[in-house]
Amino acid sequence: MKIFIKLLIAGFPILLVSSCKKYLNVTPDNVATLNSSFSNANETQAYLFGCYNNLQNLSDVRHNAGFTTSGEIVFPINLNDRTTLGGGGGDAGFTIMQGLQNSGNPLLNFWDGYNMGLNLWQSIRMCNTFLDNVNTPLDLPAYQKTRWIAEAKFLKAYYHYWLIRMYGPIPIADVALPINATSDQVRVPQQSVDSCFNYVVHLLDTAIAGLPPVIQNTTTEQGRITSTIALAVKAEVLATMASPLFNGNPDYAGMKGKDGKPFFSAAADPAKWQRALDACKAALTAANVAGATLYQLKISGNVTHMSDSTQKLLTIQGAITDSWNPEQIWTLNPQYGWQYMTAARVTADAAANVFAVYSNFSVPLAESELFYTHNGVPIYEDKTWDYPNRFKLQQGDSAHVYYIKKGYTCPKGNFNRENRYYADVAFDGSIWFGAGSTDDNNPNYVNAVNGFAAAPDALRINVTGYWAKKLVPWQTVFGQTSVAYNYSWPFMRLPALWLLYAECLNELNGPGAEAYQYIDLVRARAGLPGVQASWAQYSNNPGKPNTKEGLRAIIHQERRIELAFEGQAGWDLRRWKELQNVLSGPIQGWNTNTGTNGRSITGYYQLVNYYQPVFGLGNYIYPIQTYDLLINPNLVQSLYW
Amino acid sequence: MKKKIGYSICLLLSLFALPRVLAQQPIKQSRPHITITGTVIDTTGRRVEGASVTVPGKKSVGTSTDVNGRFILDVDEGATIVISYVGYGEQRITAASEHKSLDIVLRTAAAGESVVVTAYGKKVRKEAVVGSVTSVNPDALRIPASNLTNALAGQVAGVISFQRGGQPGADNSQFFIRGVTTLGYSASPLILVDNVELTSNDLARLNVDDIASFSILKDASAAALYGARGANGVILVTTKEGKIGRARINLRYENSVSKPTKNIQLADPITYMKGYNEAATTRGAAVPPFTPNQIQDATATWNHAPGSNPYLNPAVDWMSMLFKKQTTTQRANLSVQGGNDLARYYISGSYDRDNGILQTNPVNNFNTGMKYENYQLRSNINVKVTKTTEVIARLWGNFNEYTGPITNDQSGLATDLYDKVLHTNPVAFPAFYLPDSANLLTKHILFGNSTVNGGLQDNPYADLMYGYKTFSESRISAQFEVNQNFNFITKGLSFHGIFSTNRYSYFDLSRHYNPFYYNVGSYDPKSNQYTLHWLNNSPGQAYEYLTYDPVNNSTRRITTYIYMQGSVDYDRSFGDHRVGLTVLGTREQTLTPDANDPLTNQPSLQASLPARNLGTSGRASYSFDNRYFLEFNFGYNGSEKFAPNHRFGFFPTIGAGWVISNEQFWKGGIGDLITRLKIRGSYGKVGNDNIGKQRFFYLSSVNPDGGPGASFGTTNSFSLNGTTILAYPNPDVTWETAKKSNVAVEMTIGKGLSIIAELYHEYRYNILIPRGYIPVTAGIESSAAGNLQANLGTAYSTGVDLHMDFNKRLSRDLAITLMGNFTYSTNKVGHLEEPQYPYSYLFHTGHPIDQQYGFIGERLFVDDKEAANSPAQASFGGPLPQGGDIKYRDINKDGVIDSYDKAAIGLPTTPEIIYGFGFSVMYKQFDLNAFFQGLARESFFVNSSNDNDTYYGKYGTEPFVNNAQLLKAYADNHWSLENQNLYALWPRYSLYNNVNNAQQSSWWLRDGSFMRLKSLEAGFTFPAKWTRSIYMDKARLYFNGLNLLTFSHFKLWDPEMAGQGFGYPIQKVINVGLNLNF
Repeated sequence: MKIFIKLLIAGFPILLVSSCKKYLNVTPDNVATLNSSFSNANETQAYLFGCYNNLQNLSDVRHNAGFTTSGEIVFPINLNDRTTLGGGGGDAGFTIMQGLQNSGNPLLNFWDGYNMGLNLWQSIRMCNTFLDNVNTPLDLPAYQKTRWIAEAKFLKAYYHYWLIRMYGPIPIADVALPINATSDQVRVPQQSVDSCFNYVVHLLDTAIAGLPPVIQNTTTEQGRITSTIALAVKAEVLATMASPLFNGNPDYAGMKGKDGKPFFSAAADPAKWQRALDACKAALTAANVAGATLYQLKISGNVTHMSDSTQKLLTIQGAITDSWNPEQIWTLNPQYGWQYMTAARVTADAAANVFAVYSNFSVPLAESELFYTHNGVPIYEDKTWDYPNRFKLQQGDSAHVYYIKKGYTCPKGNFNRENRYYADVAFDGSIWFGAGSTDDNNPNYVNAVNGFAAAPDALRINVTGYWAKKLVPWQTVFGQTSVAYNYSWPFMRLPALWLLYAECLNELNGPGAEAYQYIDLVRARAGLPGVQASWAQYSNNPGKPNTKEGLRAIIHQERRIELAFEGQAGWDLRRWKELQNVLSGPIQGWNTNTGTNGRSITGYYQLVNYYQPVFGLGNYIYPIQTYDLLINPNLVQSLYW
Repeated sequence: MKKKIGYSICLLLSLFALPRVLAQQPIKQSRPHITITGTVIDTTGRRVEGASVTVPGKKSVGTSTDVNGRFILDVDEGATIVISYVGYGEQRITAASEHKSLDIVLRTAAAGESVVVTAYGKKVRKEAVVGSVTSVNPDALRIPASNLTNALAGQVAGVISFQRGGQPGADNSQFFIRGVTTLGYSASPLILVDNVELTSNDLARLNVDDIASFSILKDASAAALYGARGANGVILVTTKEGKIGRARINLRYENSVSKPTKNIQLADPITYMKGYNEAATTRGAAVPPFTPNQIQDATATWNHAPGSNPYLNPAVDWMSMLFKKQTTTQRANLSVQGGNDLARYYISGSYDRDNGILQTNPVNNFNTGMKYENYQLRSNINVKVTKTTEVIARLWGNFNEYTGPITNDQSGLATDLYDKVLHTNPVAFPAFYLPDSANLLTKHILFGNSTVNGGLQDNPYADLMYGYKTFSESRISAQFEVNQNFNFITKGLSFHGIFSTNRYSYFDLSRHYNPFYYNVGSYDPKSNQYTLHWLNNSPGQAYEYLTYDPVNNSTRRITTYIYMQGSVDYDRSFGDHRVGLTVLGTREQTLTPDANDPLTNQPSLQASLPARNLGTSGRASYSFDNRYFLEFNFGYNGSEKFAPNHRFGFFPTIGAGWVISNEQFWKGGIGDLITRLKIRGSYGKVGNDNIGKQRFFYLSSVNPDGGPGASFGTTNSFSLNGTTILAYPNPDVTWETAKKSNVAVEMTIGKGLSIIAELYHEYRYNILIPRGYIPVTAGIESSAAGNLQANLGTAYSTGVDLHMDFNKRLSRDLAITLMGNFTYSTNKVGHLEEPQYPYSYLFHTGHPIDQQYGFIGERLFVDDKEAANSPAQASFGGPLPQGGDIKYRDINKDGVIDSYDKAAIGLPTTPEIIYGFGFSVMYKQFDLNAFFQGLARESFFVNSSNDNDTYYGKYGTEPFVNNAQLLKAYADNHWSLENQNLYALWPRYSLYNNVNNAQQSSWWLRDGSFMRLKSLEAGFTFPAKWTRSIYMDKARLYFNGLNLLTFSHFKLWDPEMAGQGFGYPIQKVINVGLNLNF
């Protein structure tokens, strides 16, 4: 007995520990870890959707430098409350034009995901993690696996492409680096612009083969990437690569890596346009096969009266706001959430509810003047159009009864313009079909002088007097209870591809029948005659379409008009290196901030310089946050920062 | 699993069955012959309560002294009576009929008889201690407040402690043993009450009357037995056990009045309005927001001028609208103890009630006043089952009940009201309206409000009145212990086992109506009558009936805890040699089923898994002739947080002591001056496994189907969420390790002055720190980036602890005691992953851990022109600075003020020096003691931002922004166009958050050092002849105060609150107490 006790006592503490090491194994085998996300096909698909997340976030125009820093729309700079655009800092992208871009804490910082930037490096890592683990689930059929791999590769390519457009040379994240990688391994240097683009194109090529040309099951899959989308993106990537910003840009010749090698090619290489042209052709072929065609107006619900003129305008608008129509090659699922920022107050009901419509998205005068005359040429070229007296006031007449309120006084420049002007832009005196009224013989209209559209305070104000009506479907009604007709954000439309093709043709071979043909397809839908005919007949520069430079200017303007407010112009103007020029003058508009006193026509029609935008050479390529350069000494700061 | 159960059973068997195995001894009785009475006092004349009086060999005879140090004992004539008390030398007296009344003086144990409680509650002779252990007399921790942690500062050498806020229930002091030596997650010490790990909240609620010993284990040798959990030091508390003798009752009742040590001085509403106008116009507004008429009307209201209308032209003193000037607290404590040879008991109950300082309104049929009540019951029973076996049952229940206004505050207590008052415009609306003609029959309170930018404002009065919240919190603990003496196996061998479990629970609920808000609709000056306009009149916005939402508005928390410990001790002397051996095993489990994952603040599976610790440790000691002491300790323990191959760590330490005064050569000469001299030292390793919030470092923590996702389909009808990674797996993570060395001198000079001086150095390595170098291009998910950590950090600390006390009995009636403590602890960062800064002054390495960085504020800009032409201060965002805004120094001279111009400024925000000193005087029935406490070498920054963050306790003092009130000091001394003082206290006013001025900079840097009269107590003990007539042993009436005087350079608010002056103020307490013993 005693021996037993002695043994027990002596052994007890040791017994307690040594025999019970399993006591510390408290985690069950199936605790959720990263592996659980690939345990079966369903979980794997969910992970893929996570890879898609930032792509869908790109549909929010606040994140899109092509929207916020394009000169198409400005955001008021001195609002009482700067949180109206979805919270504090929502207007970060718009403030870049005020000269607030900096390297300490950059705006639209897509490198780190701050200030309305999205952290795309995280999304790229997710894609890599997905590709590393997609073979894990046992119940994933091979055909699905192929498609999902292709989708992940597309996403990875597109995220890289987005970064290249902003930062030029970037590091390439082809694999997910292990967490315990050494500092040398993680300090990845930037690659030259050409290798970056080639990497993206290569990835797209491998993705295209695995993607379906069209979505069969539209109820659950519409919006997922198809080979048609991938081919169109490839065309855009190659055209961007061939464009002057990246193709032999002397301004950036001095930007070199730590090893001394230049990031930008020394001389322009025209052959890059050939690659772009081939890609455009392939994309167009694929789009045709997939059934892409121009949008036909679809009217649902009761309409009291709709004239042909109004129908034409609604067709132009519906191409964007009627989601998933055959003209939209690529649409991002999330819906445009800023209609209240874009719309004008045109009803008593909308004006009564001060929180219904903010109208802060203001279109500068210069953007409104981009649209052609009804003869299809720029307003300053049209021989028949009184350009010098365009600010003189006159009254709405019967000829414009579906565009301008009859008898309403407004500037002469609003008369005799092309359909896309009346479809896309609203101005003081313009008809606003919809918003509760479907009778275009007795429609709503914009009264910004002393009516509903006039700013009630310094918060719900449009600072220029022009509204991007294109982005507000006529079915949307604002009021005490607002009913928005929501639409998913189009990312690429067929006309964009046509114009890209025409651009490649012109850059490579100069003016030619095929180039004219594709431009004219776009003009025809807008109700305009062909390029050659319009210029020959109406322009004071009739020979313009016959030179490469002239046609280039025509294509560029056509593209800016056709894709106005769609978040494209900013990118196009960058790759053409034209944005600096576009933003050289002050942002102008009418004197909308008259307060509630002294609202008068003469008071309103004072041309006001709202502010002088800042866009220097350095703004073409975004700055990298200084802190990131401290963390990764192999990185080189963008030139001019 | 089966195996596990088997071991558990074997453990339980060893706990329960062992005593029964051993045969019981019959207990003999003996007859008394004479009755001895005696009084036991110590050398200072203090009567020793609870000294044990026994007769060797006669177990049934024995008693202990009462509160007056007296005992009565019946013994055989000639028997030896032994009088002993912990910490004193034993006295032996032979009972003789001619000396029936004895005066016995116990001497402070010289030469190693005094006892210190060390790791795992083991009592060690003071001389034999080689590690650094501070033992505090529990009486020194008695302050007139219901929070024990607030008594630590200055009372305990080696503890850095300070209190940042005074909210009842959330006024814990922060405390660090020997300062902070980690860059990592937790620098908090391990807190053990009767060997069971508890939280600082539990420590705060402990009743001083229940504490038997309070020890702080500071160095490696003392804490080594706790292995991977001892690096931050250990606080060890044991509770009282019963003493042999008749039942003794101790009753204490205290009633306190408390109010802020310093009230924040706000500008009056008129000054506020003028200031507001100045803030608007000085930044460019054309028209001042308040018209002269408005100011005139408000002035009339403020001065109660005839004809003024406080409802039409409000000028509200929100502070007194919501808060009383002072409040009361009651505390009562009752304990009974006693016992005989077979069983001893200690039972105590206490009741504390803290009343809030909130006002109430008779219109409500429920009481919105704040009340915080604490009940405790403690029962410690020791039973001798056999001659060699003792079992101990400890039961403890701690219950908190709270009722108060509804709050969003993290603490659950309505302190955010204080912050709301400081963030309410004093002239926007009155707290409530008197009914107008239409509302004469209205039953609800007509709360005032106004609409600015379309939204209702916060009316703090309505926030106070509209409902109430109650919470209930309890911890119930049951503990069973066995002490088995194995002298019959071999002399000196014993076993000690503990099984302890406790349950913690918390729930809260709230009930409220939705307040009705009004403003003045119209006003008739002739009749001085107004009509009210109901502001929140949409359906459902306001209602009179109470609502209750148990799901969304309440919290429930439950925790269970199980602890087992077994140890075998061997302690025996062989002549001059003395050998001790201890082997000990512990296991511990905490289960919090509905715990929120600290990574997400959401419940998660990983957080629901039990937290476990397993350890074995040992000690071997050897001493020779009470002169040379040598000790080896080790801890070997594991934590489930780490991967299996990094789970267990071995932490050895070695220590030695030399009692020089016991040497022969010390006798005589210097030995008469320095009567006791000991030097000791230790060196070793201890660990800290509380290194991060991640539950299992070796597992990835993910949120599957909870991450960002996507939607597809023509109507976006098909959505799936992706995966968020909260933490990547890191199998290499392990505990942080401290290498600590300690040397100390203990000496007694003459008979009264004793000094302990310790010097230590610590090197802490393997600190888990965030990885600094992974570029964002690696794509680490931001949800996990902060958790990407490695054991790479190192830090150092060095310091000194000094303790001194002096006791002197000047006459039979007069005794004095002086005491002083001094703690100096300084630290610096060893290795930290930092970016490759271009300027050397930006690196943190080599600076103190709490070193703050900020701009150097040179002065205020003279004018707008200077501001425009100085190095650009645009990097903060916000409007550019103007004249009267703070001008920062361009340290790197690049023409831009940005993060590269931040330098190390000021001292650390954790004080490096804490000290305390005091005296006590006893004269006959009177006693007086005073204690001063202070801290030094600390800086803080006045929070000059617009922070209004009750969750993180950040309270900005920027006036006007967020409706913030204006401090009088700012109103009196700021830059204005009239008074362009370039060194004014506050820069140019502004109505918006002025980020330029809110930057952390030397402009707001203040010296945090202060000294205060922490406590002062005067007591009177009623003469024995009075008390004895009502069968009372002792009655003492005392008056004391807490935080009575503060001396500091900083005048705006109590300096101990550091920068957050708009937080709940630290309290000053005046208390009267009565202590009765029966």
